[in-house]
Amino acid sequence: MAEALRDVQALFLAGVIRGEAEAERLIVDDNRVGATRRLDIYRNNYRANVTGILADHYERLHLYLGEEQFARLAGAFVDAQPSMVRNLRYYGGGFADYLARHFPEDGELEELARLDWALRDAFDAPDAEPLDADAVGALGDAWIAAPLTLVPSAQFVAASFNIAAIWNALEAEEVPPEAERRDQAETILVWRQGGSPQFRTLGADEAAALGLIAEGCSFTVLSEHMLERLGEAAAMQALGGWLGGWLAEGTVMLAGQAEAGSEVT
Amino acid sequence: MRDANRKTIASPGFGLGLRTVHYPDYVAAPQRVDWLEIISENYMVPGGRPLAMLDRIRADYPVVMHGVSLSIGSDEPLDGRYLAELKALAERIEPLWVSDHLCWTGINAHNTHDLLPLPYDAPALACVVDNIARVQDHLGRRILIENPSSYVTFRSSDRTEWEFLAEMAERADCLLLLDVNNIYVSARNHGFDPIDYLAGLPAHRIQQVHLAGHSDMGDYVIDTHDHDVCDAVWDLYARAIRTFGPLATMIERDDDIPPLADVIAELDRARSVADAALREPVVAHG
Repeated sequence: MAEALRDVQALFLAGVIRGEAEAERLIVDDNRVGATRRLDIYRNNYRANVTGILADHYERLHLYLGEEQFARLAGAFVDAQPSMVRNLRYYGGGFADYLARHFPEDGELEELARLDWALRDAFDAPDAEPLDADAVGALGDAWIAAPLTLVPSAQFVAASFNIAAIWNALEAEEVPPEAERRDQAETILVWRQGGSPQFRTLGADEAAALGLIAEGCSFTVLSEHMLERLGEAAAMQALGGWLGGWLAEGTVMLAGQAEAGSEVT
Repeated sequence: MRDANRKTIASPGFGLGLRTVHYPDYVAAPQRVDWLEIISENYMVPGGRPLAMLDRIRADYPVVMHGVSLSIGSDEPLDGRYLAELKALAERIEPLWVSDHLCWTGINAHNTHDLLPLPYDAPALACVVDNIARVQDHLGRRILIENPSSYVTFRSSDRTEWEFLAEMAERADCLLLLDVNNIYVSARNHGFDPIDYLAGLPAHRIQQVHLAGHSDMGDYVIDTHDHDVCDAVWDLYARAIRTFGPLATMIERDDDIPPLADVIAELDRARSVADAALREPVVAHG
């Protein structure tokens, strides 16, 4: 009896993604090209597609490692974690964890991967209406009691290494500095501004402040926390400076707003 | 020529695949392009620049949606979430039509992100017909299915690709996207006559044509979309237009993408090839 289509497809798939030779029995052999080389075309296409998208998603990590090293690591990742997503855009989110497990001595690789992925996510994250100076002006005094949150594109990336400096050097097509572990881990804020992904390294106090906003606190509650943490004079000065930055950068919005943009889920 | 039973809408003319490197050109000035084809998945994202640019360009151009992930030939239930997102995008941009490929991309939750070939036999036909019906019910419209380029023939295949497509289109009541380059590539890879292929297709269901370039490896040809359209494909396109009449035609370029002006120049060649073909008498098969 003929094999069920589902079984044929499972075998063909194993032939493509795992290179299993048994799949070749499904297809017609010929003298000119041959079953193995014919199946190899699909094997090569598959590998080129998935490693190519990793090179796109992890653009700076790719530059940092160079073509050969990146291809080796990406190929190993593809073997370990074949794609289980429908849209190629979302393949490879586990690469940083994979690097952390397999290259614990080169911690900057994992962190660079996380920064690249966060920037990729920020690129097409849901649209939002961030607070700006005009919006705050229009809300009047009431705004300080309103629960806040970060815009959907915003996320934090923990950095134990000097990955911001490495990333920026690669972006500028300069030789990156040697990877160095910091005495204290830093927090990098990633978000989208004017359609373009951005990041900057936060001081510990501002990271704590934005962490509170991410949890939904109001400016009033944030101020109370900062007064306790920094003392009145320092807190007032810091809050004023940060707020100006957040409003200009578009990182903060009123909590509970419906997503402004897409109907696509 | 088209018969009275035709299921298609009148050709909107000559289009191009929308590519990100050409966004600024479309925003800066009107271009000599009648419509644009998007890769659906590139816009099945929550927000940001892709959707903002699409909305902006859609205001000036009719758009058709071309997917690569429907996996209509997988012998398993269709991906409901993917279908919902596809429908949401279609509702947002109101495309002239929606297309995908005669292929499968994976099974058992694994995805190759490649257009994998099907056996051309009764079980695969039943699977594809059933899935197309479900998709058309979900989207509330006929979809177009594109002939793939392929490199293998399954031992279980008991009919030609064009016979499979013709029966599929009738039984599923869907339309066809005729990729002339894919016919050429598969003809070279499998040794069939592309004229037989054209002659075997249901003219009244062909809505759109793709033209593209490929890589000639000597013993076989790979559909790479990184070259200009070759002369043999232009000849086959002229033959298709003589056989089927005016068809919405576009150039697909996915790699080594030239400046927009160069791609439009190639599209102009499609216009003139089609013009000339329509002035020639219809060629009888044989």
